[in-house]
Amino acid sequence: MTAPGEEQQVSSGFVRSYVITGGRGLPDADDLSLVTLVTLAPDRQPPPSASPEVRAIWELCSGGYLSVAEVAGHLGLPVGVARLLLQDLNQQGHLLRRKAPPPAQLVDRKILEEVLHGLQVRFG
Amino acid sequence: MTFPQGPVTWALVVVALVAVGAVLRARATNVKLRRHHAELRQERDALLHQRDELHVVHNGLLQRQSTELAEVRKDAEEETKAVLKAAVRTLQGLADEQQVVIEKAQRKYGDDPGILADLMAMDHANSQFGRRAQGIAVLCGGWLGRRETVASVFDVARSAQGRIRHFDRVRVNGQVNFSVVSRAVEPVAVVLAELLANATNYSAPGTPVEINIQAVPTGVCLIVDDAGLGMGQEEKDRAAALLSPQAAISVSSLGIPPQFGFAVSGMLAARYGFRVSVDSVSPYGGVRAVVLIPDELLTTEAPPAAPAEAPETALPQTPQVQPVRQPEQWQAPAPAPTPLFPPAQQPDTATQPLAQITTTAGGLPKRRRKSPVSAVPSAEPEPVRSNEETASRLGAFQRGTRSGRDTTTTEGTEFQ
Repeated sequence: MTAPGEEQQVSSGFVRSYVITGGRGLPDADDLSLVTLVTLAPDRQPPPSASPEVRAIWELCSGGYLSVAEVAGHLGLPVGVARLLLQDLNQQGHLLRRKAPPPAQLVDRKILEEVLHGLQVRFG
Repeated sequence: MTFPQGPVTWALVVVALVAVGAVLRARATNVKLRRHHAELRQERDALLHQRDELHVVHNGLLQRQSTELAEVRKDAEEETKAVLKAAVRTLQGLADEQQVVIEKAQRKYGDDPGILADLMAMDHANSQFGRRAQGIAVLCGGWLGRRETVASVFDVARSAQGRIRHFDRVRVNGQVNFSVVSRAVEPVAVVLAELLANATNYSAPGTPVEINIQAVPTGVCLIVDDAGLGMGQEEKDRAAALLSPQAAISVSSLGIPPQFGFAVSGMLAARYGFRVSVDSVSPYGGVRAVVLIPDELLTTEAPPAAPAEAPETALPQTPQVQPVRQPEQWQAPAPAPTPLFPPAQQPDTATQPLAQITTTAGGLPKRRRKSPVSAVPSAEPEPVRSNEETASRLGAFQRGTRSGRDTTTTEGTEFQ
């Protein structure tokens, strides 16, 4: 019999992701995109039967807006799994969500620099 | 004396003589026979004695044979177990390795529901494979593998749930504020998985299987109820024997296909000191299996929070996400890091989903200083002016402001 010291280390995750989702189908990526911002609606209490992951999301999101990607990152869960849990909360009305801010208009830096230089030549 | 007279007398004499002769002969024969008889008897006794001796020898040989056979069997069993154990050890390691790879892939490609679903299916198959390998390892006297950290009883139940085929039929109810000590985490999870596998295999498809977690005075009970047909007395006896093993279980006695759920459970329970019983009836009519984890294997230590090592893999698309900037930040093109605003204070500016994520000691998100977010993601253009030129211009600016202040001072006196 192997001595306890020889025991190999198990390093894989303990609770499998499909158990966390309960084997349910995963929501579409369009629904809650990576950069959608979510936060908890005010004055809500987590349901007593909430899983540890839902409680963790609850704690994370009560501080203000976080992106879906951040929530997944904090929980160490695949984005799809976090998205499903967030969608559940959303359907239960616990979640406020905001679309990702629109991308900024890109300004051509070269033009701005030319203007700046022009001004400097003129007045500097 | 007169001679006998007449033929009758002579006849009698002859008869008498013949009779005497016959008697004598008979006597001689008798003596011979007796002698022969005695000889035979002697011979028989000798043979009997020999037989007894042979009997003893035979018995001795039989005994020797059976002990030798048992020894050979034991040796063979041990050798088989040793070989199996070594082989399975490799498989266990590979299953664990594969699990880690799949997990990483899940985090990496988690944004795509199709890919993630496929990865989950692989994960599921691999978990079952890992459990099988662990079962064989235990039967061969090997070990399961050790976890570093404690795990909550609820998570142990869910981990067990993930190791069986029909995990979606299992419901876990009840959460207690206890964790299982690290060395018992895997054993309890494997035993529970075996019980769940039995429960789902021996009940109708689609019927639920429940795990109820209950704190009892001596520890925590994990109660598995199924809605199957239950077990007969014979099966119960067999299960009870396997669950409280008196001796090492022979691998070959488990049948084909091998049914090693109870055997594995019994060996693990005995080795780690928890109890498993399957002798009661569930409220749904099936089997009620109970795992009692004693206080010695429990702790109130909270399990560690989820590892937050994911971000760089969890957010593979970060380069594609258009960075967003605040207008005033544009003026800071220098490589000096621009602080990000914590979301709790200024949620409006929490528009940077790409921040490196860490947590505070309390597990709350902590945003790190981040390299400047620029609306112009293209490579920094070569500076138009040389550093010396910039320096001289800055110097000129400084001189200008100084002279400006001087002017103010002089003007100030004029106003006075």
